[in-house]
Amino acid sequence: MSETVATDYLDCLLKSWSTKSNQPLSWLNQLRASAIDYVSTQRLPTKRDEEWRFTDISALARLSFQSAQSNTDLQAQDIKHLHLKEAKNSLVFVDGHYSAELSTIIDSATLKIGNLSEFLLTHAAILESHFGQYAKFDNSVFAALNTAFLRDCALIIVPKNIVIAEPVHLLFIATQSEVTSCPRCLIIGEPGSNVTFVEDYVSLREAAYVTNSVTEISLSANAHARHIRIQRESTQAYHLANCAVSLAHGSNYQSVSISLGAQISRYNLDIQLIDEAAECTIDGLALISDNQLADTHTCIDHIKPNGTSRQQHKCIVNDKAHAVFNGKIIVRPHAQQTNSSQSSRNLLLSKAAQVDTKPQLEIFADDVKCAHGATVGQLDQEEIFYLESRGLSEAAARGLLTYAFGAEIINRIPVSSLRQQLEQTVLNQTQDNKL
Amino acid sequence: MSAVLQSLVNQPYKHGFVTEIESDIAPKGLNEDTIRLISAKKNEPEWLLSFRLKAYQKWLTMTEPEWQNVHYPKIDFQAISYYSAPKPKKKLASMDEVDPELLRTFEKLGVPMHERAALAGVAVDVIFDSVSVATTYKQKLADVGIIFCSISEAVHTHPELIQKYLGTVVPVGDNYFAALNSAVFTDGSFCFIPKGVKCPMDLSTYFRINTEGSGQFERTLIIAEEDAAVSYLEGCTAPRFDTNQLHAAVVELVALDNADIKYSTVQNWYAGDENGIGGIYNFVTKRGLAKGRNSRISWTQVETGSAITWKYPSCILRGDNSVGEFYSVAVTNNYQQADTGTKMIHLGKNTRSTIVSKGISAGHSNSSYRGLVRIAPTAEGARNYSQCDSMLIGDQCGAHTFPYIQVHNNSAIVEHEASTSKIGEDQLFYFSQRGINAEEAVSMIINGFCKDVFQQLPMEFAVEATKLLSFKLEGSVG
Repeated sequence: MSETVATDYLDCLLKSWSTKSNQPLSWLNQLRASAIDYVSTQRLPTKRDEEWRFTDISALARLSFQSAQSNTDLQAQDIKHLHLKEAKNSLVFVDGHYSAELSTIIDSATLKIGNLSEFLLTHAAILESHFGQYAKFDNSVFAALNTAFLRDCALIIVPKNIVIAEPVHLLFIATQSEVTSCPRCLIIGEPGSNVTFVEDYVSLREAAYVTNSVTEISLSANAHARHIRIQRESTQAYHLANCAVSLAHGSNYQSVSISLGAQISRYNLDIQLIDEAAECTIDGLALISDNQLADTHTCIDHIKPNGTSRQQHKCIVNDKAHAVFNGKIIVRPHAQQTNSSQSSRNLLLSKAAQVDTKPQLEIFADDVKCAHGATVGQLDQEEIFYLESRGLSEAAARGLLTYAFGAEIINRIPVSSLRQQLEQTVLNQTQDNKL
Repeated sequence: MSAVLQSLVNQPYKHGFVTEIESDIAPKGLNEDTIRLISAKKNEPEWLLSFRLKAYQKWLTMTEPEWQNVHYPKIDFQAISYYSAPKPKKKLASMDEVDPELLRTFEKLGVPMHERAALAGVAVDVIFDSVSVATTYKQKLADVGIIFCSISEAVHTHPELIQKYLGTVVPVGDNYFAALNSAVFTDGSFCFIPKGVKCPMDLSTYFRINTEGSGQFERTLIIAEEDAAVSYLEGCTAPRFDTNQLHAAVVELVALDNADIKYSTVQNWYAGDENGIGGIYNFVTKRGLAKGRNSRISWTQVETGSAITWKYPSCILRGDNSVGEFYSVAVTNNYQQADTGTKMIHLGKNTRSTIVSKGISAGHSNSSYRGLVRIAPTAEGARNYSQCDSMLIGDQCGAHTFPYIQVHNNSAIVEHEASTSKIGEDQLFYFSQRGINAEEAVSMIINGFCKDVFQQLPMEFAVEATKLLSFKLEGSVG
């Protein structure tokens, strides 16, 4: 239906391609060239594609947002309020471009942290063996676009057996309207390492723009990573994100992702447990209102035996907002002793709110424990009555119950200042709630 | 996986014989002439022919769906014979005139058609290949006003009812196989329960495919008027052939105010051999419309046969306070594939639905649960509970769940849960400790696993289903 229209967004980007590749290394240019080749054979997905059945991005297809140029006007003062006090190290990207002035790197001795152009000089071999290896773009036009148009990349390499106590803050700021930016992250955890990082997408003003991000995480044997992902883009923005995680023997990945902003947001999280005894814990919360749409697609792929995964995804949907969740768990043949649980819980606060959820299991091994559950509903009348009988007004009771519903996920964030910020956001949201 | 479990699954199919009955078979191939031939053979009125031709035209514009989680070589629709009827075909006045060979067939199958029918207390309509061969208890049912006959007979005796309801629940262009069925359906059962009548006995249809190279396309239409109630049973078997045969049926149920329809199926079409050669492709569209207030439609199915089962008995809950239920056990072994589940479309206020689905996979088979629960904005206070459990026997098989939950009304409460398990060594050990051998233990565990569904089946069917399951899985566990 939108075949001709769909090429607009892509066309516009494709035209701006060609001479922009100024990277010094040929492997990266090759990768980008093959990504652009792939994009040129593709169209934007429509609701006819099963993966995009509930998320209509035809409005995006009509936009002609060019790739973002760098913006150097931003002062440290402007983004002071966004800093996390626990984070010693932070990398700041403005519209996808690295800003050395705004970033702070203290631990460079123990932790290798930096951006693409630096690392291409100092760690080219490691980069080449990891970059683009997990977020494959052969089935995602957006991952391919990101690969082709990325300006820079946030890089963290945690050396063997190093434990980084303080979180690393990766801050992606959108300042321009009607542009496309392509943030990128690569996190490599070497054997036995341990790191916490916050991937934070913010906008300084209400504007329409596109963020198309890709994050790749590779954990070697017994490495641990805690990944906190906050999406608080402008409510007119489009946020399209792919995250690919590869877990080696005995590694442990914990993720909490919170979606608050964007007109339409889509987060694809693909986790592969490529060796035995890997573990992952995935929590997600979407808190949306008005005409927002938040779509989360996750795929947890148990390839080897003895893996463990636990997932909980919650949506709080108000007004005419629309939440989509698709959680797939695959247990490959011979991935015996897999233990996996998944739950999708959805709270509808208004009559016009919508939820489409699809928890999906694909199991090819017999000695496994897998369970999933999904619920959709409104606040329990009895719970409200109970609180009212304790002297709370109905509005307060509803606010409290909604807050508690979301707080279960927020409480899993290991960074206290961020947790408090988010708790406040949820409280404000629930108090505004004219019920 | 111990040898006892393995040896438990591999019982031979016992309905695989062919009856030597001369058949009247239409030449293979599908075109307008075939449809006219079927229509002429059945001496059909003009409106039905135009219904068929409309469906055929629609079918020509459609493409075979590919989204399902089953794999099979493309079907050559021109290599199928669309009409096959046992000869001689003269009007049968009583059961005594039925071809004795045919009767022996059903005797072998254990279908209570004759005096045994009286003992079982079930009225039976028997469809052999494409044509209804016998209906029992017609008179007794007619006394209370119930019409129970083959659909081709009803076309002549009650054309107004057929015209009013045929194709209203499953429109001719609903899906590829429903369109095909609407174009070429040869027979099926028709059942009409008038206002206020509770059907005094269970009604039953027995389907049998006999001729190689033929497809079976039957059509069932059940209408329950205000305050009526009926329990309907369906059984299916087919002989053992090396070729795949297509079975594309359509079942339509209509329940008016306060009506209650219970539809039970024990499907045991030939499933192919242990290497996946042969077997029936069972691509069926079943849908019930709970049209009236407080109406109830309940589907119970035990799916053990067919090389490929692909069906979603659905309920459209349009009437306020209407209830939809779906209870299913799907067992796959060897190279069988099943993609089955249900759709519950909540439109009316305070509509409720329950889904209980149990999948058991063994051998190299794959079984999928695919379900849709949709709460429309109009469905104030709707309620759904779904549960789908899978059991895997062996590490070569697969179990999949694809539950779609779409909620567009905040007063709805929807719950879904699913689990996957296996028969644990510790469970078997516990049984053997109590002096129960592995084979019996497995049978007990599986029966316990399926209990929620079997409880919904009428007595005779529940017994048959239990037996069927233990045959089916014989040799697979241990």
